[in-house]
Amino acid sequence: MRNILPILTVLSAILIIWYLGAIWMNSAWTLDRAEGPLTLTEIVQDTMTQDRPRLPAPHQVAAELYDTVIDKKVTSKRSLVYHGWITLTSTLAGFILGTVVGLLMAVGIVYSRTLKMSLMPWAIISQTIPIVAIAPMIIVVLASMGVEGRAVPKAIIAAYLCFFPVLVGMVKGLTAPDAMQIDLMKTYNATPAQEFWKLRLPTSVPYLFTSLKIGIAAALVGTIVGELPTGAVRGLGARILVGDQFGNPLMIWSALLAAAALAGILVSVVALLQTVVMKRMGFAQ
Amino acid sequence: MSSVILAFVVWAAGSFICVRIAQGPGHDTTAARVAVPVLFGVTILAMWELLVRGLEVSPVILPAPSGIADRFSGSATVLWQDFLQTVLKGALTGYIIGCSIAFLAALAIDRVDFLKRGLLPIGNFVAALPIIGIAPILVSWFGFDWHSKAAVVVVMVFFPMLVNTVQGLADTTQMQRDLMKTYSASYWQSLVKLRLPAALPFIFNGLKISTTLALIGAIVAEYFGSPTRGMGFRISTEVGRLGIDMVWAEITVAAIAGSVFYGLVVLAERGLTFWHPSQRS
Amino acid sequence: MKKLMIGAMALGMGTGAAHAADEVTLQLKWVTQAQFAGYYVAQEKGFYEEEDLDVTIKPGGPDIAPEQVIAGDGADVITTWMAAGLAARERGLPLVNIAQPFKSGGLQLTCLKESGIETPDDFPGHTLGVWFYGNEYPFYAWMAKLGVPTDGGAEGVEVLKQAFNVDPLLNKQADCISVMTYNEYGQVLDAGISEDELVTFNYLEEGVGMMEDGLYVMEEDLQDPEFVDKMVRFVRASMKGWKYAEENPEEAAEIVVEADETGAQTYEHQLYMMGEIAKLTAGSDGSLDPADFDQTVATLLSAVSPENPAITEEPSEGAWTHMITDEALK
Repeated sequence: MRNILPILTVLSAILIIWYLGAIWMNSAWTLDRAEGPLTLTEIVQDTMTQDRPRLPAPHQVAAELYDTVIDKKVTSKRSLVYHGWITLTSTLAGFILGTVVGLLMAVGIVYSRTLKMSLMPWAIISQTIPIVAIAPMIIVVLASMGVEGRAVPKAIIAAYLCFFPVLVGMVKGLTAPDAMQIDLMKTYNATPAQEFWKLRLPTSVPYLFTSLKIGIAAALVGTIVGELPTGAVRGLGARILVGDQFGNPLMIWSALLAAAALAGILVSVVALLQTVVMKRMGFAQ
Repeated sequence: MSSVILAFVVWAAGSFICVRIAQGPGHDTTAARVAVPVLFGVTILAMWELLVRGLEVSPVILPAPSGIADRFSGSATVLWQDFLQTVLKGALTGYIIGCSIAFLAALAIDRVDFLKRGLLPIGNFVAALPIIGIAPILVSWFGFDWHSKAAVVVVMVFFPMLVNTVQGLADTTQMQRDLMKTYSASYWQSLVKLRLPAALPFIFNGLKISTTLALIGAIVAEYFGSPTRGMGFRISTEVGRLGIDMVWAEITVAAIAGSVFYGLVVLAERGLTFWHPSQRS
Repeated sequence: MKKLMIGAMALGMGTGAAHAADEVTLQLKWVTQAQFAGYYVAQEKGFYEEEDLDVTIKPGGPDIAPEQVIAGDGADVITTWMAAGLAARERGLPLVNIAQPFKSGGLQLTCLKESGIETPDDFPGHTLGVWFYGNEYPFYAWMAKLGVPTDGGAEGVEVLKQAFNVDPLLNKQADCISVMTYNEYGQVLDAGISEDELVTFNYLEEGVGMMEDGLYVMEEDLQDPEFVDKMVRFVRASMKGWKYAEENPEEAAEIVVEADETGAQTYEHQLYMMGEIAKLTAGSDGSLDPADFDQTVATLLSAVSPENPAITEEPSEGAWTHMITDEALK
């Protein structure tokens, strides 16, 4: 709680810089269009109310957000809640898919030396390939295999970014028990399955949650990338694209802020889940 | 049809050899460590080639690796020019500028506790955001050439780098700091001799995350306007004119560039943080 | 009228109950907008239904090449520009033009007067914004005809890949940009730049015009009489939609705005677009005029751009057919 004051200070500083930036960046257009000399007040007033500002003023974005979030019915195509929902479902589908793949690969890698030696280097290389380059290819290959629509390709792109942090975190987590603990399981004559369920898996839970927080943020990035350059028609990424095409900066900015809010909510939910689960499992916080 | 069957034969053979090497006596040698992943990759490529041929997949949907290789060697000059534009000018410039600014900002923030408490939570939040969405805005601000691409990269790498560096600088124990005090070390002395070395693993973590982000940022930004060269330009243009083999050639370049970039950072990390427990195997 | 509608609906429902309507998937070249009003109108007014068709309209986008989608069986029929269609044909994807709802083209290059450009001879030394994704062929053909190199320098022009909006002109990052009469040109005017500040070159008037939105299918599909029958009905209903849209621009604009899933299109802009689109579709009954085809091919071949050729030789036999339109327009 003692961080509230510093955070608020930083936030207001950002707001002030934003306003100054808006005046500075938009004034070029004002002066270019002006009929005669303008007073400073007139310039400032004009930069706050342009239709296609280079940098919209915060209150313009807030008004647009209010208009598209609160004022519109959530089922309307003009509602950001509707587009946010589309993005959210793809993100969650990708997150679940990515987490499952990451978990299975981690278990495979921890238990099989062959898998560890052959898969791990490629998993790392896969993340250095910019996802945007393959996104359109994924969509076309899936379409030719008879998968219609954009939901599945988007989820796969999201999962592509999401599986890696889960994989790395879980490999760490599953190998976290030290020799002493493993020996103890041996003295109990535990089967490998018992060792996995009663020792390795519980020990890895804190690692899992840390990875999940990174993973869900990555899944959202993947979904937006999947919506952005690939001509999706619904979702926050599509709003950014269309806003750009029709010269509507307010639409871009409001979609960006909505995406930011979505990211915040998703990470917070995972963090909350982490607190609850860790408490139930008796990890000292 | 026979190619499809052959594909699975190749797969079986490939995995058999991988298992034999991995379970064999020499699995700890460097040769085995290189051979297994390479063999795995070659098996996948061979299967891809055979399946594409066997199932008669149209080259405008998914070209075979041999076709991509042909195109790759045939268009080396174009690929090199795109590499210069996107990776060296866009991504690398942005990466260096963004990481340096973030590093300096982290040092500044670290000195002022008030700033640290205010900026760190916000930085953590922003680092999780899909910043990629600002690409169209920055392209309209900074023009079409590589400058706007570098700007996107700067913004994308800034926050992960900042957060990691600030955390790293805080990663010393009271005991260690007290020791520096008893030596009557100045701020700069204790920074250079204790806190920066202690922060290096975190800093390298930030640098590694940023390598991937830098390439993604530079390529996405080219979708929103570019000169007539660059990897993002080439990919989107060649999709439009059905040069899918060229698209895959660019993806190959991106993969190689990304891996080498990441590999260089890892090498630097090994050289500088050899003392850290995470580097002992 | 009302009775007729009810009758038609009853008929539609009656046939629907007897057997499922034939499915047709149409891949558009770009996002949902009045450029494709005819298809959306035909959908919304039930013209497709009357022909016993169940049509799915897939909007396009920057990374979607309709030619690739149809090659991957993602669509039965696509809309694309003739240069791109012919380019795909030369690259081994046998597309056939079955109908040409657009009689003339809307592609223009718009320049700021203050850049000093008055005629195409003034281009050298300037920066020009061009669309890619298969729309660059007319531009490169034009430059080849003018003999202007496209790799920058004082003698040549600097080419920018223009994204999707008119910002490069407003921000003065480019001296000229590509615009469609029906879309971006209106955006430039809307942004507050008046017509007398602009110099506009129309590709048609410059003698490098090419046929724009046409309907294309895969050659092999035309062997199948059932597919041909489906396309006959599809083209008939689509052209009915186009003519209805021309006569009722307000209603057409409303239908388009309603069909747009991004919720970003405005009625005003779509109405403007519909008005301009109507000028392009006005002269066409849907069948391709072979003279127009020959003119496009001649333009492409008269100025084969060294680095960006659409085609390098005469298209193979069968690049267009009247078999669909002859039947549909009987």
